[in-house]
Amino acid sequence: MEEISPRFTGAILLSVVVAFALTILPVNDEWILFRPEWLALTFIHWGLVSPNKSSLVFAWFVGLLIDSLYGTIMGQHALGFTIVLFLTLRMRSRLLMDSFFQQLFLLFLVLGTYLLINLWILGITGNTPEGWGYWYTVFSSLLIWPLYHYYMRLYHAQKKSF
Amino acid sequence: MIKFVILALISMAFMTLDYRKNRLLPVRTGLTKFLIYPVQYTVDLPYRLASFTREFFSDHDELSKANRELRALVGVYAARDQKYHSIARENQRLRSQLSATPAVREKFTLTEILSVSSNPFSKNVVINKGTDDGIFVGQVALAGNNIYGQTESVTPNSAVIMQLTDAKHAIHVRNVRTGQGALAVGTGKINRLELKHVETSMDIQTGDKFVSSGLGQLFPPDFPVAIVDSVAYNPGDSFMKVHATPFTDFSKTREILMIWRADYSSELESTNNMPEQTNGASK
Repeated sequence: MEEISPRFTGAILLSVVVAFALTILPVNDEWILFRPEWLALTFIHWGLVSPNKSSLVFAWFVGLLIDSLYGTIMGQHALGFTIVLFLTLRMRSRLLMDSFFQQLFLLFLVLGTYLLINLWILGITGNTPEGWGYWYTVFSSLLIWPLYHYYMRLYHAQKKSF
Repeated sequence: MIKFVILALISMAFMTLDYRKNRLLPVRTGLTKFLIYPVQYTVDLPYRLASFTREFFSDHDELSKANRELRALVGVYAARDQKYHSIARENQRLRSQLSATPAVREKFTLTEILSVSSNPFSKNVVINKGTDDGIFVGQVALAGNNIYGQTESVTPNSAVIMQLTDAKHAIHVRNVRTGQGALAVGTGKINRLELKHVETSMDIQTGDKFVSSGLGQLFPPDFPVAIVDSVAYNPGDSFMKVHATPFTDFSKTREILMIWRADYSSELESTNNMPEQTNGASK
């Protein structure tokens, strides 16, 4: 996949703010476990299409924001998002990113690692979530990915002018 | 690569600092105040706008009817309050004759829930009042007559309230039927508590009501907490496994009462001259 630059300065920031809003949007209690990892998906997307514009420091800082929002231990999501972006940047050159299934494979791997590390940290600090509910978000994230990936094109520089 | 390693190390240092010493509270509060609260406010805006418009356009007759009913209700409450005050004064007199310590009395203020935790594994909510209104960390929150939780962190204009059902939360409770104590610990699941340290010899059955015991001085005593819905015992365990449902329905509550505990006697002296204030200020 060739490098695509953002449509305007701050396009990445805007997309992250939108993902952040989606993350804190109030939802029904039955659906909350199925909330996709919007921010992780956003970072994966930018890591795939625009590796030179993706900043690890930015991802780390957004993670810190999520930590203060969730009340989780400071640094947990910061580490998580850094790992998400880093893994994406590392693996994008090893896979054919235009192939849909290889994309899903990468997504599965990256999100799995991210959630597993979060689970470890939760376990160490004594807040282990019970049951399988913790992993539901992987499936909702994978399901929403094609749509989200398509929507994110709004933030890309347009090749043809109308 | 180097950047990644550095960031990972910083994250781990942060986690250690936060976990061991709680040193990063100012960072957390700063981020919440300046970056998260505005976004939260914006996301919540459509909801509030919708309810505002609904109220704005609701029928005039309906409103005046509600107003009349509320006025009548205020009258009833005022009369009831008067009676309560004479009883309270009598109680104080009797207590002073017995030279018992004065009972603790509370002041209340009503707050609205701004947002529910987006983290599915921690049960907390953000309310629309903070240190500017006298809210402090550890303050008790009620929903109606029942205990809702306590304040976890606070900024000038918002506060995070940890619900009873949060996995980190515990409250000492007393069985209304037998008077025996237990510890009601949150499970992290909605409307579900677990009673810990219930010995096998303890008299407990499904349907038992538990109220706060007041031990530990944080929660006021005798407020309803939970009702037992299952009691199980595995042979070999030292304790029974007891599940309970809190009286507060956490999925439906929109308003929370914050309480301040004030000294009873000084409060009574001031109310002898002035009408009672229900909308509390800080102590």
